[in-house]
Amino acid sequence: MSITKLIAMALAILVSTFFALAHPVVAADRTVKIAAWGAKSGPLRSFGVNSEAVLKGAVKSINDSGGVKLGDGTMAKMEFTYYDSACNADQAISVARKVESQTGALIGIGPTCSGAAAAMYGIFQKKVGDKSDTGLQFPILTDTAIRPGLAKKSQWTFRNVPNEITMYDALFKWLRSKYPNAKTIYGGTETDQAHSRITFAAVIVQKAKKYGFEWVGGGIEGVTGKIIAGMKNVLNVSKSSNWLLADTNFSVQARAFKRSGADMMIISSHPFTTCGMLKEMRRQRIKPKVLVGLTSSSSAETLKGCSAAAEGIYIPTGFAPITKAAAKVAAAAEANGGAADLHSAAAWENAHIIKQVVEATGVMAKPETLKADRRKVRDGLEKLVKVDGLMGEIGRVQDEGESIKPYVFVQAQKGAWKVVHDPR
Amino acid sequence: MSDFLLEFVEVTQTIGDGLFFGTTYALIGIGFSLIFGAMRKLNMTYAAAALAGAYVGLAAFTFVNAPAPVVFLISALASGLIGGAVYITCFRFIPIHNHLAALMASIGALFFIDEIVVHTTDGSPLTFPAMFEYVMFELGPYGIRGDLLFVLAVNIVSTIGLLYVLYRTRLGLATRAVSQQDVAAQLCGIDVHRTNAVTFVLAGLLGGIAGSMTASAVGVLSPLITVPLTVKGLIIAVIGGLGSIPGAIAAGLLVGGMENAFLYFRGVNERDMYVLLLLFIFLVFRPDGLFGSTVDRD
Repeated sequence: MSITKLIAMALAILVSTFFALAHPVVAADRTVKIAAWGAKSGPLRSFGVNSEAVLKGAVKSINDSGGVKLGDGTMAKMEFTYYDSACNADQAISVARKVESQTGALIGIGPTCSGAAAAMYGIFQKKVGDKSDTGLQFPILTDTAIRPGLAKKSQWTFRNVPNEITMYDALFKWLRSKYPNAKTIYGGTETDQAHSRITFAAVIVQKAKKYGFEWVGGGIEGVTGKIIAGMKNVLNVSKSSNWLLADTNFSVQARAFKRSGADMMIISSHPFTTCGMLKEMRRQRIKPKVLVGLTSSSSAETLKGCSAAAEGIYIPTGFAPITKAAAKVAAAAEANGGAADLHSAAAWENAHIIKQVVEATGVMAKPETLKADRRKVRDGLEKLVKVDGLMGEIGRVQDEGESIKPYVFVQAQKGAWKVVHDPR
Repeated sequence: MSDFLLEFVEVTQTIGDGLFFGTTYALIGIGFSLIFGAMRKLNMTYAAAALAGAYVGLAAFTFVNAPAPVVFLISALASGLIGGAVYITCFRFIPIHNHLAALMASIGALFFIDEIVVHTTDGSPLTFPAMFEYVMFELGPYGIRGDLLFVLAVNIVSTIGLLYVLYRTRLGLATRAVSQQDVAAQLCGIDVHRTNAVTFVLAGLLGGIAGSMTASAVGVLSPLITVPLTVKGLIIAVIGGLGSIPGAIAAGLLVGGMENAFLYFRGVNERDMYVLLLLFIFLVFRPDGLFGSTVDRD
């Protein structure tokens, strides 16, 4: 080999090394680890399946576009492990303890169910820096679990779920103008499901009343402004029209609906009993002017179970594949064996929020910096004011750890959810 | 109509609806009783197998658009097969006097079957076909659901069929002989294991009918109802008298009617409390149930 060739080869190596160094290095040993958990077994398995499918798509899209930039400029891949907590509080707590102590996860996403979240949040340190509190110091960014007001239990817990109070307020305001002749309401809920029950009694009925809809026969006067007293009143007047999550016979409740003759009827329950109740109403030929459902029923499950009986029901939702980004997520979820809905779509946003926070706070993603990194992520999440969401900009309520997400109103029409009002 | 009459109609309609639904409970209770009568063991997988059978039937509806009667038939056959498999895995090789092992094995199988269903369907509620789903017969102020009348008819025919098999066939004779004294039955040349296996299949067939009728009465099938249906089946079998088929029928109707009455008068939160109180009263004051025999087989 001649000297010239040797010099040329050396130059080539130098140049290629320079270009390689000029681009951020993708660190093979440093990854942004996410621990996710939710119901992957038990009757609410669809929550976990959908959430995991969406998260998988989100992590892939982040990695395909280069990964996450760490504090020293290194590009790291994002990876996640999905655990099963079966919508069970005990399991959710033990997964939280395990991932905090035995994995190098930077942040957790879970546990998909409100009841499990309410219990799990209790084991986290309530106030950051409180040395007397030995609770977990591990940031959580929850999707799916939608029951109002949970995240403020700890300064380490954050949620990205639709705000039902805002959504139902807007829904009844809109329904008031759309159905000016509708005056009375009646409804029922599954009382053994805290989300359904609380949203029904503390949010839906009270917001309906706020916009001039009156409960048939009265009995809930003084509800507005007195949430707890109002809840008790609502559950008391509706005691014969309520049901339980695993009920199979809705004849008594449907007859109570029929007797009420209300213009607007409310079914605040999850898809299985929503379908049971809607089918019974159809059998008993109950046709209210307006039918309103719980946010959790604006999913594919309801349409799989009873699309014909659900025809016409209005539900507010924080997800519909009406934007380019949302349509992309819906396709990704389907490709991963799940479905994007108002619950699961948040997992996509969460992965991107985590990327944004990691990049903004200079996380190092090294074993020796894990504790500091977790704290950085928590602080970063708390500081967020606005983030990009699939349906538009998501506002953050800093002191409560909650989101204010854009929403639309959908209606079941011919076996599909159609957007009938878009207040964004 | 006066308020009193309106209330009377409402209450009788409520109880009547409960009785109709009670027929599906009765079928589940019969299954528990049949197996307990034959082996003196509780088969906790019974309701799970019944619903798993209904899911197999539903698959025929979903994939080949099978008509409702075919779906019901496939549900029954599938549940019968599952019943046979449960016998082999949970009962056949466990010593006859080890009741606890068999009970625990069947509880394990209950959750195993349930999880298979959950993993196959992701727990989503699925539309289940029904006959005469939206037919309503109006009798004055009363309304009777066409599909529930059909369910009632199927349940009556199934029960009559079961009683015929038990009391008019050699198989039934063998089953009754084994249930009364298995050693003596064996000495008479009856294959006890075969008879028990056939009893499980028979109970499974009945369970498949119960599962598909329950799903058809709701119009939707979900794994959510497995455990509640198991509990209800046990309550009915105990109130009726473990091992008693007429007892299971009476208890199924009683529980169905009372559930609705308590729901109407006291609300859903107290409903199950009264049903469980009824069970407690029976356990304390009449532990052999409505029609249970006080005579032990040995």
